[in-house]
Amino acid sequence: MNPLAEKYLRKEFLPFLFCPGCGDGMIVQAFLKAVDDLGCIDDLAMTAGIGCSAWIGVYMNVDILKILHGRAIPAAIGLKATRPSRKVVTFTGDGDCLAIGGNHLLHAARRNIDITVVMVNNQIYAMTGGQVAPSTMLGSKTQTTPYGNIEKQLDGCRVAIAAGATMVSRWSTAHLKPLIKAFKTAINHKGFSYLEIISQCPVQTGRYLLGSGSPEFNLQWIKEHCVKEEDPSQWEEIEAQGKIPVGDFLRTERPEFMEEVQRMNRRVKEEQARGGDR
Amino acid sequence: MKKGRIKVMMGNEACGEAALLAGCRFYGGYPITPATEILEFMSRRLPLVDGLCLQMEDEIAALVAVVGASWGGTKAMTATSGPGFCLMQEAIGMAVAVEAPCVIINVMRGGPASGQSTSTAQGDFYQARYGSNGDYSLIVLCPSTAQEMFDHTIKAFNLSERFRIPVIILSDEVVGHIREKVFLPDADQLTLVERKAPTVPREEFIPFQPDTDGVPFMPAFNTGYKCPVISQAKSQSGNRGNAREAAENIRRIVSKIEDHMDEFAEVQVYGDEKAETAFVTFGSVCRAARSAVDMGRENGLALRSVEVKTVWPFPDDLVRRALAGAGRVVVAEMNLGMMQREIERVVRRPEIRIELFSKIGGLYPQPQEFLRFLEE
Amino acid sequence: MKAAEKIEIDRRYCKGCMLCRYICPFDVFEPGEQRSDLDYLMPRPARIDNCKVCGLCESNCPDMVLTVVAKEKGKEKE
Repeated sequence: MNPLAEKYLRKEFLPFLFCPGCGDGMIVQAFLKAVDDLGCIDDLAMTAGIGCSAWIGVYMNVDILKILHGRAIPAAIGLKATRPSRKVVTFTGDGDCLAIGGNHLLHAARRNIDITVVMVNNQIYAMTGGQVAPSTMLGSKTQTTPYGNIEKQLDGCRVAIAAGATMVSRWSTAHLKPLIKAFKTAINHKGFSYLEIISQCPVQTGRYLLGSGSPEFNLQWIKEHCVKEEDPSQWEEIEAQGKIPVGDFLRTERPEFMEEVQRMNRRVKEEQARGGDR
Repeated sequence: MKKGRIKVMMGNEACGEAALLAGCRFYGGYPITPATEILEFMSRRLPLVDGLCLQMEDEIAALVAVVGASWGGTKAMTATSGPGFCLMQEAIGMAVAVEAPCVIINVMRGGPASGQSTSTAQGDFYQARYGSNGDYSLIVLCPSTAQEMFDHTIKAFNLSERFRIPVIILSDEVVGHIREKVFLPDADQLTLVERKAPTVPREEFIPFQPDTDGVPFMPAFNTGYKCPVISQAKSQSGNRGNAREAAENIRRIVSKIEDHMDEFAEVQVYGDEKAETAFVTFGSVCRAARSAVDMGRENGLALRSVEVKTVWPFPDDLVRRALAGAGRVVVAEMNLGMMQREIERVVRRPEIRIELFSKIGGLYPQPQEFLRFLEE
Repeated sequence: MKAAEKIEIDRRYCKGCMLCRYICPFDVFEPGEQRSDLDYLMPRPARIDNCKVCGLCESNCPDMVLTVVAKEKGKEKE
């Protein structure tokens, strides 16, 4: 194993369960590079749900709570609420986050709670064999859309921005350098950070939708189809060409949830000490 | 004589008071009649003790956040009613699977589905035990008074920490909303149980290896143990297990509770312990049954009421003992016959028919109806 | 100018995905004939003299099995 692996992986759980050439493994390494640069492995608390990408954190030497499909975000909130100094990171997938978990994404973003949600987007439900996901391209013939997908794609970045996230980025496994930088920014960002990663799934998306199960072909597809564009007004044009905008889309600040809670608790206790109403 | 004070309060409030005294510092909830008072109480009181009460976006998020808080090292609780309890079932199984101590209150109301939000019922008797998927076990307590709402909540937190399980308090609308005297002991009068922290350093720590009592040691996150906690069937290392390891772990999480029932199982008998006729009740129905027993005594009729306080795991031995010598057994419950099935299973005397006095539709059984039932 | 002493591929966990060959700008790799312990055909650093220790293969490897060991300073021409 490479030096980063020796330093940070939970070796007794190897090998990675990911398929050959899967983007998830590349994301494990990119994340660990960011964590190594920051030196923050001991502060991490992770949660995950169900799906291929949910296994990303399991292979790292971190405390991780991997639970139900779509419910990683409320678990992250429970962890953050009980010790705000934790750096809470959730790896989720396009199904886990945008379908069953969509409600929780909305409210975590709305609260601007200081957690990082990394949504690994392979545009399909891979773990269960290749069913359509909210992120699957129109027309795709998946296991559950054998006659072609007639549903419009849901854009997690637009949803996160609309719901109130204060950091939103999308990169891909063909953009590891900016991805590592975005990981570091997200971990240090005070507020809700949503980081989407377009990631290859050679076995499902590749074979069924793109015409090839070769990892090289699939990573090349991502490289060719991801276009750096940080101005949202240009997104529709890029999407009309069948491409995916990537970049650091949003970085702003507004009151963070746990800080507001602590401020409120202090105020309430002071009022009570002064004999105010409960 | 314990030190404390007496206050008149609603059952739901008594539950909140007990939670705070037990050390609960995180509450994740969602409004639902007739449990909403618990959420509102915690939202007022938790900030005053540096805790956090979060109204989540749905009941699923509420219980999942509670489990996250539990692994974060904090005692945590949620409360709901039937419809929300249904939503929580997956997460209840998950709390069992990841062995997270937590307390869940279900203040039952008329069902099925939206049912009758402001009326009482006892239709979740089986759901409390079997609502989630797969094989598992947990503990369910049934209060019948505001005082028991308090006492059972303390007990629930202690049992959840002792066994590392979700403990369910199966209340109902009558008990949740009734206002009566509750004795609140001073904090120093209570014996509280805490989960066991690991006694070995990280290199030697095996996350799901049990102690001699079948319960593993539980590190809080970010205390250096780097614990892999997954909800899949697992081996002791925390990784996905093979068939043998998975079976072993499932048996252990059941036996860790069911082998130790003498620590918590509770059945009370009110009235004449040797009476020929016995009622069997749980929850708010215990109250009416007691009045029926008293009425019966005034009319020269000897009656006993067997009150099951810990309905799951069902206390077979205690119930059999409480019903010893009874020639007639009437299970009184506000459903179409659920505890009745358990009594039939437990009392294997063919000469006795286990009768059912059933009251549904949100109507509470009156004491005189018990006596009328006996005559018919 | 950097050069590689050796390129190690951990045969316990290599899955033969060949993304090292794909990402390498200097045509170091080609499919090999050895199988890993997981029974995948492993890549082979056939043209290690081309390697400039850019690190792309190591950082892109989805199983973190690849390590590029640079030659010590002063020994690059050996």
